[in-house]
Amino acid sequence: MADSASGSVDRSVQVKLVLLGEAAVGKSSVVLRFVSNEFQANKEPTIGAAFLTQKCRLEDRVLRYEIWDTAGQERFHSLAPMYYRNAQAAVVVYDVTKASSLEKAKSWVKELQRQANPNIVIALAGNKVDLVQPSPSTSGTISASESEDEADDATATPGETPGAGGGDPQSLRQVPREEAQAYATEAGLLFFETSAKSGEGIVEIFTEIAKKIPIEHILASTRGGAGRPGATGGRGGARQEGVNLDENQGKGKDACNC
Amino acid sequence: MSTISTQLRNFKEPTKDQLTHVFFSIPEVASVPATDKSGSEELEKMEINAVLSLGVQGVEDSYAGKLHLIPPYLAFSSLDRKSVRFTLPLSTVRRVERLNARAGVYALSLSTWHGMKIVVQLTSLRPTADLFCGLLREALKYELQRGQMKAVKGFVKSCYSEGLVPTTSSVAENEREDGSLITETKEGSPPPEAAYHGGLGLRFKFPGDPKKLREASKIKLWTTYLRTHGRNLTLLRYPQCTRLVQVGLPNRLRGEMWETLSGSIYLRYAHQGVYDQTVAEMQGKTSTSFEDIEKDLHRSLPEYAGYQSEEGISALRRVLQAYSHKNPEVGYCQAMNILAAAILIYMSEEQAFWLLEVLCDRLLPGYYSPTMHGTLLDQRVFESLVARCLPMIHEHFQAVDVQLSVASLPWFLSLYINSMPMVFAFRIADCFFCMGPKVLFQVGLAILKINGEQLLQIQDDGQFLNLMRDYFASLGQSAHPESSDPRARAISRFQELLLVSFREFSVITDETILSERRKYRNQIVNSIESFSKRSAIRNLKTLARFSKEQAGFIYDALYKAICEVPPPPDAVPAPSLLSTADGTQERPETRIGLATFQVFLSEVLTWARNEKIVINGFQQRIDREVAEHELIDRLFYFWDTSCKGSLSFQDVVSGLDGVMFNDLMDNIEWFFNLHDKNKDGFLTKDEVLTLSESFLFIFRYEIGDAYLGAVSRFMTNAFEYGDTLLPQTTDKETGESAPEPIEPNQPYLNLATFRMVVLADELLESFFETDLSASFRLEPVPDLELPPSSSGFLGDLWSNIATVDNKKMFHKLSDELGKTIGKHQVVYRPTIGRYTKLEEPKARESLVSPTTKANMSSSDTNTLATSKSSSSTLTVDAVAAQDAPLSAALSSAAFSPMPHMQAVNAAFMERTPFAIDDAGDDDDSDLESDHEGDDDQVLDEVDAFLEAHDSGLTDADKELAKDLIDAEPVK
Repeated sequence: MADSASGSVDRSVQVKLVLLGEAAVGKSSVVLRFVSNEFQANKEPTIGAAFLTQKCRLEDRVLRYEIWDTAGQERFHSLAPMYYRNAQAAVVVYDVTKASSLEKAKSWVKELQRQANPNIVIALAGNKVDLVQPSPSTSGTISASESEDEADDATATPGETPGAGGGDPQSLRQVPREEAQAYATEAGLLFFETSAKSGEGIVEIFTEIAKKIPIEHILASTRGGAGRPGATGGRGGARQEGVNLDENQGKGKDACNC
Repeated sequence: MSTISTQLRNFKEPTKDQLTHVFFSIPEVASVPATDKSGSEELEKMEINAVLSLGVQGVEDSYAGKLHLIPPYLAFSSLDRKSVRFTLPLSTVRRVERLNARAGVYALSLSTWHGMKIVVQLTSLRPTADLFCGLLREALKYELQRGQMKAVKGFVKSCYSEGLVPTTSSVAENEREDGSLITETKEGSPPPEAAYHGGLGLRFKFPGDPKKLREASKIKLWTTYLRTHGRNLTLLRYPQCTRLVQVGLPNRLRGEMWETLSGSIYLRYAHQGVYDQTVAEMQGKTSTSFEDIEKDLHRSLPEYAGYQSEEGISALRRVLQAYSHKNPEVGYCQAMNILAAAILIYMSEEQAFWLLEVLCDRLLPGYYSPTMHGTLLDQRVFESLVARCLPMIHEHFQAVDVQLSVASLPWFLSLYINSMPMVFAFRIADCFFCMGPKVLFQVGLAILKINGEQLLQIQDDGQFLNLMRDYFASLGQSAHPESSDPRARAISRFQELLLVSFREFSVITDETILSERRKYRNQIVNSIESFSKRSAIRNLKTLARFSKEQAGFIYDALYKAICEVPPPPDAVPAPSLLSTADGTQERPETRIGLATFQVFLSEVLTWARNEKIVINGFQQRIDREVAEHELIDRLFYFWDTSCKGSLSFQDVVSGLDGVMFNDLMDNIEWFFNLHDKNKDGFLTKDEVLTLSESFLFIFRYEIGDAYLGAVSRFMTNAFEYGDTLLPQTTDKETGESAPEPIEPNQPYLNLATFRMVVLADELLESFFETDLSASFRLEPVPDLELPPSSSGFLGDLWSNIATVDNKKMFHKLSDELGKTIGKHQVVYRPTIGRYTKLEEPKARESLVSPTTKANMSSSDTNTLATSKSSSSTLTVDAVAAQDAPLSAALSSAAFSPMPHMQAVNAAFMERTPFAIDDAGDDDDSDLESDHEGDDDQVLDEVDAFLEAHDSGLTDADKELAKDLIDAEPVK
């Protein structure tokens, strides 16, 4: 995470990306896989949000992702606006082995679409897909699930893993790919099934987001010194800003275009 | 999905008593002793001015301050509230003597368990001092009776300091008390060193290099201090103590000092065995908190060796689980694992458990609650302190739209433990436990100040975080690496940080924090509540046909109802259900019970409330109360589609949607279904009767008896049609056909018939066409007793209570007055109100006899006259009783509210000046006439006063003054 000056010197474009999702779906693991291509067992829990950066090359352009990996525990929810304000992209993660996590993901998507930057690019990621694939490796499903759980949060689904260990891994799946895909299409999201453990689908999320992001727009706004919406007025609690900022930002961009 | 909590509104500012308790870290429960023991009254508290000095000459200065007796504790603080203080459990006091001193000096000598002598000179008046001593004696006696005196011995063994200070077989230990208060036999000499409580550090090593930390010399200094100033339960805190804390506690002593300085030791002392009990209780139990804890166990200071072993992990698990078990309303919040992991390095599980309690409850109030309001509040406070102390940084952050909290939130939430290298974070924790929450703010400000120049360069949140990260990583480095002075070079950046914190930001006091919190509290509560409102609305599975704004009104009404009648606690599914839930795992969700529902409905539905228009000659107001009727209960269960005996926000929204947007046919069907209990498409005879009762309930306050008539016709028709549709049996003897007799609970009337019967009556038709749906009204509820929702509605309920009570009293008073002067009137406001705007009921010709119409106008004036002349208490009920039998004409016209209001107004206008008015008027005129006389008198008094003061001046001064008055300006 070398701090490369202010980022405007080279031709890289800075993109603020936020990760959201229920606790223990593997947000931090997804980021870690993307940022350092590793899969680490015990991690510090996220207090508020962890901040990481990673560059991503796209054709002739370099994107510098500023990734805010938010805490998943429900009570941190009210802090989330602080992190997703001004974000240009969001990855909403759910766990394919846990149906409730998709519900939570949907509510995040709703919130983002209403409260966040209106041009935000949202990707939906169904993580832990390695748990539901017939594993060709010798390790088999049991160890796969164990390591995933551990990495993620030690005991993501303690009740389910042991029972399902011997059976068909597909039976662990609670969210059919088609269902999530259909929802994503309907809501206008990018959609991926991923595995932070195997690395499947991880890089794709970030490259697809990169393709979809209106880079010129960002460049224009940073160059023009616009997009400094916070300058106006006193701030209230963290959450109110989400809304206020959106409004201001819209104006800011209009202003800079003309 | 949504949880609605009104908990934040129940906040009360701490009382002075509570603040004192907090200041001295005295556990709340300990303040009300003596209730369990028979006969003994509550022990009185008292405070008294005193001068404290140590029994040993020359060790410490004397300090003036206040001595507090807060049974079972004796506490002292110096006048500046920081130099010197102590909190002594009375059970550690072994002897109290009145000293023979010079006349007029009232001094006590206290000997403590550790053989230390404290001399307190009571500087108040003699009787006050006597009273204080009396109370002290009582309190000590009580402690003795409770057997607490004996508990000390066992307890102090658990403290490391006991082994540290060679047991010089304290004087008080062996000496027998001579005629003093306490007589207790001691069992020989103090025990040899026993196993003391300690943390994982004893086994897995403490973080940091002991040599670098100069452990040995720190221990030596502390040993000296503890020998003369008491230890653990009897510690006296002199300035030296704070200084020693600021240079860092030695690792082995740290745990004990943390609990002593934070006061958690008093909790542990007062609740011995509770931890073990709690651990035993929660065996085999499970909860969402437990699951959350499990997820984080391996993510809590994982780099520390202790947490790579099962021993450390299970200790951490037990402590966190025990805390969440004992405090289910807090449960478990991420970041608590970091704190618990940190303190467990230095403390035993039991010590950690109580320290966690003090942390969550007192030191970091509301930080870890489900709304995390304490965290948000302190972030706001921190931001305002930055704006005040470091305006340039604040302005720059505003200009580039960087949010302070992205960095500072984890600082506060995890006491810097997650941000700084552990050795440094623990030193901040030392100061935090010793000096209180202000330390977090002081250190935070110092961090920003030290990095000020670079902070002015940053452009976004990311750079801000990176800068902070680099700074924290460099804390061990020299603050002045370029300096030629080796001593300056030796100062680390961390030392610099502490110096800046405590030197430059000493202006930040506990009072500052408290008052800032008070200032921003409402703002935070408002934003939390509006946030949860928005997410509750967003999380609705369907808004149905409502707009978001309308859903907001529903939410507000629901919220208000929940404030008035909180939902039963068992509305939350049992924890065990949560863990076994399948795919659609249930989040705890707020569901309201019937009682809350009634209140809610009375907000949005006109016929679910009784509204009395009260006119008493002074004011006209509307008193609203919640109506109770079987129909409302029926609605509740009708909307409870999942049959849980409670309603969620979604249930309420869907339920309202089912009736508010209906047309005529939909409404008839809705009403039919509402009464078709078994949903077989037929009403039974009983149900037809119930339905008619429902009609009567809805129409109970309607003007006139048109509705009454409509309902009775409805009943007649319903049974008539119903009977004809029944299979007919022909009576063989008479040849008449009659319906087969059926049981009252047999299917009887179907929807089609019901519809036909309803449509036969224009009044009922119009009721179903528009009035039913319109009787549900979603609007900002016009309730004078809460400020408008935009600002104060969610605000400080507490401050409202006073005014609500006042208002009620005022209403009562004016009612009484109104009654005595014959101006009191109560009128029920109609719930449908169809006829409030129309002069006469629009009924079908056939239903109203021509005479009615003819009589209309005359009766109109008739009642007007009646009420005018009598001006008596007039209620609809009373009059209804009079004319109920027949006089349809009279009632139908007379009870349209217009004439009524006219009558009232007329009465109001025509009223003769009554007693009070007269008196008031007289007073006024009296005042008018006496005014000048009064003025003169006052002036006289003022003159006299001036004279008296003048006499204090010397003649020369007087001369001067006179001269000055007469003096001319200098030319």
